[in-house]
Amino acid sequence: MSDSRFLSLEKLTLSYGKNVAVPEMDLDIGKGELVALLGPSGCGKTTTMRAIAGLMEPSSGAIVLDGVNITRVPANKRPVGLVFQSYALFPHLNVYENVAFGLKLMGVRGAELDTRVNDGLKTVGLSNFASRKPAELSGGQQQRVSLARSMVMEPKVLLLDEPLSNLDARLRLEMRTELQRVQKESGVTMIFVTHDQVEALAMADRIIVMLDGKIEQIGTPEEIYNNPVSDFVADFVGFENVFERVDDKIKTANGDIAINGTIDPATKGLAWRPSMVTLGEGPFEGTVRGTSFAGGTREYLLDTPLGQIKAECAASLPAHDFGAVLNFDLPVAKAAQLARTGNL
Amino acid sequence: MFQNRAEAIALVLPAAIFAGAVFLVPVVILLSEGFRTGDSWTLQAYVDFFSQSLNQAVFLRTLKLAAMVTAVAAVIGYAAAFAIVNLPPKGKGRITGLVVLPLMISPVARTYAWIVILGRTGIVNKALVSVGLSDEPIRFLFTETAVFIGLLQLFLPLMIISLISALENMPRDAVPAARVLGANWLQVFTKVILPLTKEGLVIGGTLVFTGSMTAYITPAILGGSKVLMLETLLYQRVTMANDFVSASVIALILIVMAFAANLLLKRLATARNKR
Ligand SMILES: Nc1ncnc2c1ncn2[C@@H]1O[C@H](COP(=O)(O)OP(=O)(O)OP(=O)(O)O)[C@@H](O)[C@H]1O
Ligand SMILES: [Mg+2]
Repeated sequence: MSDSRFLSLEKLTLSYGKNVAVPEMDLDIGKGELVALLGPSGCGKTTTMRAIAGLMEPSSGAIVLDGVNITRVPANKRPVGLVFQSYALFPHLNVYENVAFGLKLMGVRGAELDTRVNDGLKTVGLSNFASRKPAELSGGQQQRVSLARSMVMEPKVLLLDEPLSNLDARLRLEMRTELQRVQKESGVTMIFVTHDQVEALAMADRIIVMLDGKIEQIGTPEEIYNNPVSDFVADFVGFENVFERVDDKIKTANGDIAINGTIDPATKGLAWRPSMVTLGEGPFEGTVRGTSFAGGTREYLLDTPLGQIKAECAASLPAHDFGAVLNFDLPVAKAAQLARTGNL
Repeated sequence: MFQNRAEAIALVLPAAIFAGAVFLVPVVILLSEGFRTGDSWTLQAYVDFFSQSLNQAVFLRTLKLAAMVTAVAAVIGYAAAFAIVNLPPKGKGRITGLVVLPLMISPVARTYAWIVILGRTGIVNKALVSVGLSDEPIRFLFTETAVFIGLLQLFLPLMIISLISALENMPRDAVPAARVLGANWLQVFTKVILPLTKEGLVIGGTLVFTGSMTAYITPAILGGSKVLMLETLLYQRVTMANDFVSASVIALILIVMAFAANLLLKRLATARNKR
């Protein structure tokens, strides 16, 4: 076992009856990593989490954690923590008892129990809420109890299923930094599920993008953000103008259209963020069909021979009116070159 | 909702008068019968009742059978309800339908069906004799076992239904959460499922216990006069001996025991788990 293969999924296949939700997944996660599992609804994120936690038996393949094959180890014997999207606090127990639940089952008693529970509550800032029942807490507080309940067990891997999805925007930001801090302080290997790319980019050391049960791309936030490998990932991280490539042309609704610049032969598609579109000059013309002000920038939706194009320029520049005709260019040099297409 | 109280009272009055006339008054008269000897109020009837060994035996047997049926129904009920709740939606609907089906069949028909199964020439005995496990038919009917089986079959659906609804009201991820936190299945049951479904258990338990205690047809057909229970004894006292004093005593015992069972179960349910 090396540190970069602390948790490994080896050809892991997960099915519900006859339906295969995740086919033959291979994945290595390093010790102490904070990994985001990103993907659209129904792509198999929860299923993968449940399998790692032992709540679902794989139909084939193996899960290896810290050098031990845990594929057949029952959930209660795995050194894995899982924070549920629903929090899953025990409503009949107060906050203290919830956090103490797993420790007591481990046989921790007396002063040690007390210390560990109180430390856990302190970490998530809920020391004053020990005797409250879950029903008397806000969503964010419940989420933190759930986190503390898993953290105090000191699992080798902590899984979080959409931990922030039920929180309002402000609390979500707060919890993001909180989670990062807790993870860095404890050094626990953490995988969190999200379908919010901003959250994944902001928090993770590494991002796994999933689609239809398969891994589309694994990489650092920078890699995912700058070099998406497929049209799906590109679209997911904000490349709003995505085209398939045919020779030195791009494929559009109005036929193949030549663009300026040479395209790498291995490239299957090209993608531009709105900010990568040159606006005001270039070989193409587009009619403004919509504009929206986004603080520092202004976004334009253009009707063009290439189809609809989203472009963007500094809000300090004079605004173009609805119906105005603008020149623009899609510079190949700026585009993300996609190795795979066909998933949009 | 109502303009004034008078209106509300006017609306419930007919029902109240009806219930009072045909239910409350006769019950009070019947029950007061048990506290009178001549013109004075005494507990003599109760002392007399419990001093007879037959009555003691019937009382204890009723208590014992009702308690056993309740306990076994709870065990089987939890297993069945847990399995049903975890079925995919389509199967769940069908199986729940099957569970309540017996409740829609006449108890007389249901109980006579047991005679077909347990009688001297019934299916079980035929099988035992033909396989050679027994030389002659075994007496199942008119035994406590027969009454027990009959009552269990009669009231198990009520327990299962109560537990299904209790289990369905449990937070969805409570059980998996407990598993991941290290609980084995026994601990999942005692520390999570039981505390979160105890209201359902109290309701189901009360229904099964009072039902078993006050059932008439099942002990009458499967137990007969060999295995008397309070309810069959009551009927016997009235029809054979015109003994309304004993009837009154038994009736009150049944009512008191029903309330006691409910209180006891609630008490057990709210008792804090020892840690
Ligand atoms: N209990 C189940 N029975 C049958 N199929 C299921 C079950 N749970 C999930 N699935 C299917 O498995 C696939 C993956 O589901 P999963 O819950 O893992 O998705 P997810 O990525 O977590 O989605 P979301 O973002 O909506 O939570 C989906 O197609 C889903 O319909
Ligand atoms: Mg999910």
